[in-house]
Amino acid sequence: MITTATNTNDPVIVIRNMKKSFGDHKVLDGFNLTVNKGENVVVLGKSGSGKSVLIKCLMRLLEADAGEMKIFGISIPGLSNKALDELRSKIGFLFQGSALYDSMTVKENLEFPLRRHLNKLSKEDVGKLVGAALENVGLPDIENKMPSELSGGMKKRVGIARMLIIKPEVLLYDEPTTGLDPITGREINHLMLDVQKKFNTSSIIISHDMNCVRRTANRIVVLIEGKCYAEGTYNELKNSNDTSIKQFFD
Amino acid sequence: MKPKGIKSFLNEAGEISAFTGKFFKEAFLPPYEVNELLRQSFEIGYRSLPLVTLTAFIMGLVITIQSQPSMEAFGAESWLPSVVSVSLVREIVPVISALICAGKIGSGIGAELGSMNVTEQIDAMEVSGTNPFKYLVVTRVVSATLMLPMLILFADTISLYGAFIGVNMKQVISFHLFTNQVFEKLNFTDLLPSITKSFFFGFAIAIIGCYKGYTTRNGTEGVGKAANSAVVISTFAVFIIDLLAAQLAGIFHYL
Repeated sequence: MITTATNTNDPVIVIRNMKKSFGDHKVLDGFNLTVNKGENVVVLGKSGSGKSVLIKCLMRLLEADAGEMKIFGISIPGLSNKALDELRSKIGFLFQGSALYDSMTVKENLEFPLRRHLNKLSKEDVGKLVGAALENVGLPDIENKMPSELSGGMKKRVGIARMLIIKPEVLLYDEPTTGLDPITGREINHLMLDVQKKFNTSSIIISHDMNCVRRTANRIVVLIEGKCYAEGTYNELKNSNDTSIKQFFD
Repeated sequence: MKPKGIKSFLNEAGEISAFTGKFFKEAFLPPYEVNELLRQSFEIGYRSLPLVTLTAFIMGLVITIQSQPSMEAFGAESWLPSVVSVSLVREIVPVISALICAGKIGSGIGAELGSMNVTEQIDAMEVSGTNPFKYLVVTRVVSATLMLPMLILFADTISLYGAFIGVNMKQVISFHLFTNQVFEKLNFTDLLPSITKSFFFGFAIAIIGCYKGYTTRNGTEGVGKAANSAVVISTFAVFIIDLLAAQLAGIFHYL
């Protein structure tokens, strides 16, 4: 098992001994992870290994069975709804299928997170924020389009814009490049790195796309059988002799 | 029904009850999603109007045409407007309109929320700091509960126009005489149970549609099943409510 010493001086996310089961099926079984300020950590694992469950538990979209989860030092389990909403306003979440609201235009999709988090903004300010968010992802002038009129890559970009509009400090990406062609996937990878550089965000990226992993990861955590099986940089893990790790790189 | 079937029926009934309980808990607590409530009222009320209107008109016309030979045989043709109007207002229009709405509104809500669920839009709403239960469920249920009585009241009126045309197909009767004959027998005690039960129809249709959509699993296949079972269960609920309403109206009538 590979372990690389990480800088734990400034941890933004700390997960200790997280457990989650669905019936008899143990998905997470004592998972540990630390994400430091400004770091992109990729959680690598097979389909169905519990990667998405991990970040959904972190956002309390699913309740973890046991374990300690802290973001900015705030413990997630047992947090009141109000405090949870406040914490969520500092976290951006990109869903696997982008999860844009079908019945709303792109502009309305981007305005939606602002209605609760920054409800004292004027209409003009909201318009400026929407324009800037779309500019950031390279998609100006699509404000009035419906999600059904957008390509897969555009939907991902709008999803990222919607995530960034609340200026989050932590980003959670669930399979950001899955289902995209290699060129669009590469563009999304660049966009993720740009966001990290520009806003100094800390991210957990859930992926099994090795191109995405190679380009975006500062550190990789391999999730096998519900546990953190190995941890290291892309090159460290690539050179591993462990067959369970090698299978991701072959 | 096999024991397993009974168990799953009871489980589902329990889950719908818990879902309804959550509705009452969330509906009265702020924040209130007023804009979405108005939008849903427009969607549920106004957009159902053409279908309900057409159905009510046809019902009024058909029931009158079908009743005419029997009334004629009993020599009670002059009673036709009053008899038909009482049966239309008390029973036929509310139930048929509710069934039409169960098909249109129930399936629409089930499919929309089901699709939002499987594409993680409901989760996205939650991480955006909006309570999706309030935004999606409470608004739809309140809208349907308020809109159904209005639709049914309007449909009652339209069905009477249908009945007027039906009566005039075999004989000539003025609109003034027709309305006199209608309101000679039709009074507030006929309208009250009809409108009261339509609140419950609206509530049942929307809460079942929302429950089915909100708890959809298994991707797009699940969305189809959610829409389908929303219609089946809400249709059944309309008949159950109608049966209970008829019994209660009967009891109050004799008090």
